[in-house]
Amino acid sequence: MGLGLLALRSSRASALSRFYRVLASQNPCNGVRGIVSTPELQNAEAAAAAAQPEPTPVIPPRTPVAGARVQFANPEDAIEVFVDGYPVKIPKGFTVLQACEVAGVDIPRFCYHSRLSVAGNCRMCLVEVEKSPKPVASCAMPALPGMKIKTDTPVAKKAREGVMEFLLMNHPLDCPICDQGGECDLQDQSMAFGSDRGRFTEMKRSVVDKNLGPLVKTVMTRCIQCTRCVRFATEVAGVQDLGMLGRGSGEEIGTYVEKLMTSELSGNVIDICPVGALTSKPFAFKARNWELKGTESIDVTDAVGSNIRIDSRGPEVMRIVPRLNEDINEEWISDKTRFCYDGLKRQRLNDPMIRGSDGRFKAVSWRDALAVVAEVVHQVKPEEIVGVAGQLSDAESMMALKDLLNKMGSNNVWCEGNGNLPQTDLRSGFLLNSNISGLEKADVFLLIGSQPRVEAPMVNARIRKTVRATQAKVGYIGPPTDFNYNHQHLGTGPQTLLEIAEGRHPFCSVLLNAKNPAIIVGAGLFERKDKDSVFSAVETIAKLGKVVRPDWNGLNVLLLNAAQAAALDLGLVPESSDSIESAKFLYLMGADDVNLEKLPADAFVVYQGHHGDRSVYRANVIFPASAFTEKEGTYENTEGCTQQTLPAVPTVGDARDDWKIIRALSEVAGVRLPYDTLGAIRARIKAVAPNLLHTDEREPAIDSTTLKPELFQKISMAPFGTSVENFYMTDSITRASKIMAQCSTMLLKK
Amino acid sequence: MAFNLKGIRVPPNSATLQEARNRTFDFFRQACRSIPTIMEIYNLHDVVTVSEIRSTISSEIRKNAHITNTKVIDMLLFKGMEELGNIVEHAKQRHHIIGQYVLGRRGLIQDVGDKDQDISDFLKKFYNSNYF
Ligand code: SF4
Ligand code: FES
Repeated sequence: MGLGLLALRSSRASALSRFYRVLASQNPCNGVRGIVSTPELQNAEAAAAAAQPEPTPVIPPRTPVAGARVQFANPEDAIEVFVDGYPVKIPKGFTVLQACEVAGVDIPRFCYHSRLSVAGNCRMCLVEVEKSPKPVASCAMPALPGMKIKTDTPVAKKAREGVMEFLLMNHPLDCPICDQGGECDLQDQSMAFGSDRGRFTEMKRSVVDKNLGPLVKTVMTRCIQCTRCVRFATEVAGVQDLGMLGRGSGEEIGTYVEKLMTSELSGNVIDICPVGALTSKPFAFKARNWELKGTESIDVTDAVGSNIRIDSRGPEVMRIVPRLNEDINEEWISDKTRFCYDGLKRQRLNDPMIRGSDGRFKAVSWRDALAVVAEVVHQVKPEEIVGVAGQLSDAESMMALKDLLNKMGSNNVWCEGNGNLPQTDLRSGFLLNSNISGLEKADVFLLIGSQPRVEAPMVNARIRKTVRATQAKVGYIGPPTDFNYNHQHLGTGPQTLLEIAEGRHPFCSVLLNAKNPAIIVGAGLFERKDKDSVFSAVETIAKLGKVVRPDWNGLNVLLLNAAQAAALDLGLVPESSDSIESAKFLYLMGADDVNLEKLPADAFVVYQGHHGDRSVYRANVIFPASAFTEKEGTYENTEGCTQQTLPAVPTVGDARDDWKIIRALSEVAGVRLPYDTLGAIRARIKAVAPNLLHTDEREPAIDSTTLKPELFQKISMAPFGTSVENFYMTDSITRASKIMAQCSTMLLKK
Repeated sequence: MAFNLKGIRVPPNSATLQEARNRTFDFFRQACRSIPTIMEIYNLHDVVTVSEIRSTISSEIRKNAHITNTKVIDMLLFKGMEELGNIVEHAKQRHHIIGQYVLGRRGLIQDVGDKDQDISDFLKKFYNSNYF
């Protein structure tokens, strides 16, 4: 039969139809249309037998898939398996699929995801293991010593082909209108492993689409029931919203009741869904992924600095997707990061403007705008000049702003969110000292005035991961809030803090028994008048619980904004805490959250920024600047890791990069700053904070907590507040975004 | 397309630099001769004078004064002829001419001049665009 089919094939190829007819009449099974295109597969045993006598070729070692590495905690734990005849050493407990990855063989898969639990229900990863009667699902099979795994045999190939055929049976053929097209696992794998024709002639099943909210679009007929999204929601996002309903061909993914998916990480199901069942709603039908230009950049909507890729087409940002960074965001990003991009197209400032006598803005040229500001700035006293950097400012522009104000004789410059007189001498006083990935080592968390779920969802995901993996205990002091892991609400204000500091609270014993306790203080406390005493109480707790040791630093501050850490490193600290009240000239560099109520009515306000947001109402002159997608800027995240954004799209209208505006203004005002290029300004930064130039490196703080004086007197008993009221709208970009507005109305409904 | 295809027949290459130079002069003369027609058909009398256009043409040619490769000169000449042909054939519109040869010369900002003398390179570029 094998011979007959071989002949059949060759005859088809050479189009010798006469011979074909002769041969076909000799072939008893010509009525059966073979689904398999490769004849050896049709008769696996025979082909294998035929291949037997050949000497086994020496297989050169292959490079592991995606740079997969193995760490041996204990050398005895290493076992050796053979993948396609090539021996690899792997630790005990690895699955067959992981072993294959180490050996450099990529196994096709749908349901397996390295960061989720193993489901083993798609069967795409079948491989042949010697002495096992059937092909085994490699993702669920632990590797055993001496196992001989064969990934390339006819049996394995046939198994994959079969699985593909079953999957495609009920998968719609709507690739031309599917947003996943071009980056779809099912498409790719059916090209690589699938059959070249179908045998299915019945009706396909169809499934009602579910409404998962304003972010995730569902086309449930496309779902292949891999349950990755369900596992993601329960394991990583920590919401039990998604689930599997029904059995057999009636199986469906859905929310059990009519309900939206309320998670700050929900957008990640778009990435992990291997097919087009879950896609991005705002991106739907907007672009094809092969038309997009990817730019590797950094997110600035919170202080975590998630690594992102900005996909743009021409001058437009089309979508934002995560980039892998094990130390910061793993491979997830928050919904705010992913969907804030439509804010970049609305409310933009694109021309320099001056407010006329009638209170309306008039677009003018850069020349005139700079001249007006330069003239005004010379009419006020140096100490009446105040500068505030916004949440989204990069280090370069903050350096320029500080230098400009210093040259004018003023030192009243700070970054919003850092409070009145921040403590900047010790870097350990404002950084996440145990670093984000280091939080996984902690076994007790004490969150003080911090709601990580809304302040930094990626940090929260780490804490949740730790809590899930090691049953770490979480204590929380602050206003009641949502947590997606087990926690103990200890109290709402400094009262509880003092109790713990004095050892009177039951949580103290938990803290004392912990191996690696971690205290996370929210940066919202920076705004409190009594922050020094609050922080010294925290330090007392840290001393009590031995939180800071040479091998473990668990005393952390969780910052709120992308600019904060760099601002503190650069020393953006105001001279006096009430400088706004006496300001006559206020320079707002993207600062929209400063309280301008106390500003004198005759003060002259310059707003430099990319969005017409809150502060624009008070501004006298507007300088349009570029947003983070349009410039190269340095940002330091909350753990002290310096990263850079890269321009993905051109600037809007007549806008300029932030530092260039300040540099130009300095020249027009006659106090020329000595740098003309980004390189020169970085050299200047190097003199102030050299760590800001070590990109993609985390500069740990040298700790010396004992140096600070202890003071307990004036601590006020006012409870801690929430620093992020609305997770979806925290800065000028997200406030301008329509999608974020939809999210806040639909998902934050109480 | 009334455009005379004979006009863009590729002439043989210039053998020497001198020949290329002569051809350039020929081209300049030809261009100057067509200026009155151009002024007429694009109605340019109120925006520009004949001499201004003439100096625009010569500066456009002088921009490439440093080129010594005859093949390159021939190619540029060919392009120039084509452009001239297009203009004379009225294949362009008034704003093309104004944008490229009248305003394009000095930019849209009229107040450059002595004010810009003492400012730094940085500021000059800054006024022009964000990308430098
Ligand atoms: S929706 Fe996507 S991720 Fe979820 S089970 Fe279906 S195919 Fe898998
Ligand atoms: S990847 Fe192994 S069964 Fe799905």
